[in-house]
Amino acid sequence: MQISSRNELSEFRKRYRWMSLFVVLTFLVFASRLVYLQLIQGSALYSESISNIIRTVTIPAVRGRVFDDKGRVLATSVPSHALVAMPHYVDMGKGFARLVQLLEIDVADAESISKKIQERLTDSRDMRRFQQITLLDRITPEQLAAVKTYQDELPGIDVIDMPVRFYPYAGTGGNILGFLNEVNRDDIEKEDSTIEDPFRPGDKIGRSGIERAFEKDLRGVRGWRKKVVDARGLPLSREDSAHLLPEASMQEPRPGYDITLTIDIALQKIVEQALSGHPSAAAVVMEVNTGRVLAAASVPTTDPNLLINGLSYEEYRAIEENPYRPNIDKTIYENYFPGSIYKPFVAMAALEEGIITTNDIVHCSGFHEFGRRTFKCTHRHGDVNLHSALVKSCNVYFYTLAEMTGMNRLARYAREFGFGEKTGIGYNAETAGHVPTREWYDKHLPGQFRIGHTLNTAIGQGNTKVTLMQAAAAYASIANGGTLYKPQIIRRIETPDGDIVKEYNPEVRRRVTITQRNIDVIMEALIDVVEDEDGTAHSAKSSKIQVAGKTGTAQVAKKARKESDTLANHYYKNRDHAWFASLAPADNPQIAVVVLIEHGGGGGEHAAPVGVEISRKYFEQIAPEQETPLMARETKPTQPLTPEARHIPEEDTSSAAAATRRR
Amino acid sequence: MPRILVSRMRDEFDWVLFIVVALIVIVGLLNLYSTGKATGAPDLYLTQLYWVVFGSIGAFILSIVDYRLYERLGYLAYGVGILMLIAVLLFGREVAGSVRWFAVGEFRLQPSELMKPLLVVGLAKYLHHDPRSEDRKIEDLIIPGLMTLIPMFLILKEPDLGTALICLLIFLSIMMLTRLNVKSFLIILTAAPISGLLAWNYLLKDYQKIRVTSYWELMTGNNPDTLGAGWHANQSMIAIGSGKVTGKGYLEGTAGPHHFLPECRTDFPFAVFAEEHGFIGAAGLIFLYLFLILWCVRIASLSRDRFGAVIAIGVGAIFFWHVVFNLGMVLGVMPVVGVTLPLFSYGGSSVLALLLSVGLLMSVSIHRYHRT
Repeated sequence: MQISSRNELSEFRKRYRWMSLFVVLTFLVFASRLVYLQLIQGSALYSESISNIIRTVTIPAVRGRVFDDKGRVLATSVPSHALVAMPHYVDMGKGFARLVQLLEIDVADAESISKKIQERLTDSRDMRRFQQITLLDRITPEQLAAVKTYQDELPGIDVIDMPVRFYPYAGTGGNILGFLNEVNRDDIEKEDSTIEDPFRPGDKIGRSGIERAFEKDLRGVRGWRKKVVDARGLPLSREDSAHLLPEASMQEPRPGYDITLTIDIALQKIVEQALSGHPSAAAVVMEVNTGRVLAAASVPTTDPNLLINGLSYEEYRAIEENPYRPNIDKTIYENYFPGSIYKPFVAMAALEEGIITTNDIVHCSGFHEFGRRTFKCTHRHGDVNLHSALVKSCNVYFYTLAEMTGMNRLARYAREFGFGEKTGIGYNAETAGHVPTREWYDKHLPGQFRIGHTLNTAIGQGNTKVTLMQAAAAYASIANGGTLYKPQIIRRIETPDGDIVKEYNPEVRRRVTITQRNIDVIMEALIDVVEDEDGTAHSAKSSKIQVAGKTGTAQVAKKARKESDTLANHYYKNRDHAWFASLAPADNPQIAVVVLIEHGGGGGEHAAPVGVEISRKYFEQIAPEQETPLMARETKPTQPLTPEARHIPEEDTSSAAAATRRR
Repeated sequence: MPRILVSRMRDEFDWVLFIVVALIVIVGLLNLYSTGKATGAPDLYLTQLYWVVFGSIGAFILSIVDYRLYERLGYLAYGVGILMLIAVLLFGREVAGSVRWFAVGEFRLQPSELMKPLLVVGLAKYLHHDPRSEDRKIEDLIIPGLMTLIPMFLILKEPDLGTALICLLIFLSIMMLTRLNVKSFLIILTAAPISGLLAWNYLLKDYQKIRVTSYWELMTGNNPDTLGAGWHANQSMIAIGSGKVTGKGYLEGTAGPHHFLPECRTDFPFAVFAEEHGFIGAAGLIFLYLFLILWCVRIASLSRDRFGAVIAIGVGAIFFWHVVFNLGMVLGVMPVVGVTLPLFSYGGSSVLALLLSVGLLMSVSIHRYHRT
């Protein structure tokens, strides 16, 4: 073998230095890169490496429960699981396909879920892709098991405890409780930004009733837990991760406050059952001495359990378009002509103003002529005084009374009793109703005011509108000697441990300036409405309980028959609303019961039996200890028509433009 | 063993080379223990250790023998390498879409790794017998060029882009040792981008193209797809940077155990090392490689013949280009190409081939003044 001479090697000689230089320079590039990454960017990349592996998981706060007055659960949260995702880590290809397959998600749902995630991934705000979102509520146990079993194939997907609202009494009291559904963009944007725990997509919000009115109390504050995960989003064991977690690794959620209502759900059920014979009706039961609402029924109701499940469009339309309006609370949101249940307040105005005495007599010949108009009465009542006019519901008597008292004085007393203003009960949208005055007519129907309007007001028609809640509070104030309470639906708000957050006591709105003597006059008349053989509600008289009350038959605007109406439907729509406002027991009233049957017809015939049934069952089943035995009560004689009684002449006449037939 | 050999081994043994390589191997094994433990394969380092022992024995035997024997066997060795590459294409086992391995039970051998030192030996033999006093022309590069292109082609068929690229760079590095005339140098300079373009269009697979484009996007900050193809590069830089000056501590890294670097055993062990040992550890390791490569150049320069010089430069080139590609990828200054960090990454064939290369180098160093 030949040895290369030095000369032969000279070809290579010069290159070594250049090669070494090249190698050193290359390594300098790496070294400087190392300096940049570790020394200059080190801290930033360090925190990035930690945030890489630490994930914050939210712990939902359990929504507060709602109890009835007796501690029965009306709304609660039951354990359930929700499918959630951390969009950043979701594998939208294989992983997502696997998810759809494992959970047997149908195509439409899969598409909307995919959209939900994509939306976050394309969001310019970087943090959004790291925020947990809810993909599916209420997954089945099978789905839960599938996710847990194949977790490693589903990066970024997880299952969390997500309690679901449950209403054990279904539709009973549905109008009071309301329901929840998912927040929308508006809810999130409109929310007070200073709130401790603002809404996030996927959260639930109360949409009506108590759920809505006490949203902030019921909601609670969600907590969070930090956990260490790997790149696939899988959590590490506790001992592997303990040293990586920051000190504050968990914040317990604060559960929402529990709310106790004044409602008695058993009574509510009784009331709803009593009303159930009618397609659309409402009733309020109120304690006269506190203003506490024991029941507030509005039928038909909708089961809130169905509403929170998310309705299909068809189901939603069906509720929206239901002519019996299950979606509104007829006890406070809807207002009606009060009809004759308004008369006691008209009588009270006239008595208090000294315009009439109980002895004054008006002759009813079945109609009241007023200029060219004739205002009809239900019957030819003959000579009536205040007592018999209320008992028999004579319109002619009240026309006469109204003429003498005048629109504004009537209005003043009506307002005293709380009509025309919101009761402030504090849940659901409330209507103020309407008490017309001269000024109102001048403003809204300029130049058209006629005494006829006053006459119509006196019998609860014209432009007078009241809600059931107002009527109940007003009747309660008659029974309790003139104290107008704010209707109360909440008894207390407390923590789940039972610490009182807020206690609600009966709240007096005002003392109505009426004398006990006049109250007695009215009460006696109300008793005879049922007791007297000529009383309009006599047919509803119960042998078990003595009820005082006033019937009302509120006329509805007559409508021409539409093609879509069946004949029955047409007759239904043109039938009057039936009212019965009552106090029981008659000798020492504890509760006020106001019933309205929409298009029920005559109040005495249709509403009074319902009202009496409610009172009877209340004292039989709900509060038997309060039941006053039906004593051989000495029936007071009706005010005798003595010769001395002053006859009020009927000659006060002026033209009435807007005249209505009334019974 | 003749007494003269024993005394020569004692007197001429290249302790510097030995210590540098031993340091890299030991640190590599420790690092592999950390990544293996973290990724649920605590025995990984043991497998690697068997290969290290096996390779070291081979290297020791190679270093005892005078390298001039290898000169004689040069073409034979090269031919064996080519045959193995052909055989692997015919009988090899397919793993993840590539046919790179012979497999006998647990034992897997990757001929393309061994081809690298064998190519060096082949080229050294050729250049040894083709001394020039004048500059080489382009046609003088045809034979060594073909000697390189044949294994490159076979390796690309597997396919294994990284190794093929390393072969090309070994060839170019060795050729840089020779005197090229200006014209052929310019031709190479112009041919490189053209062949690169052709390779892009016809040779590269889509996933390889995506690696390059995603690297470009990551570097320019132009909508980096840090979750898709750019994931590794991005996670690697995060891991390295998070080590800061002193590192998170041995066995305390998070990138590996948390699967942020799925390829941390083979392609990204440096990231794990840098995360755990910080700038001090990482810079120290880089310095070891630098020192090793410069030592190769020194051995070449002290060599008394062309064969020895080319072997030294060739082995240096194997180390150099591996380090360049691996660190370039891991530090985010180059696209992701799956090339191992020599003697540090997990991989038996790679360790074996590299230790045998060191054995050759040691032989050149030991036997430089003497003939057997």
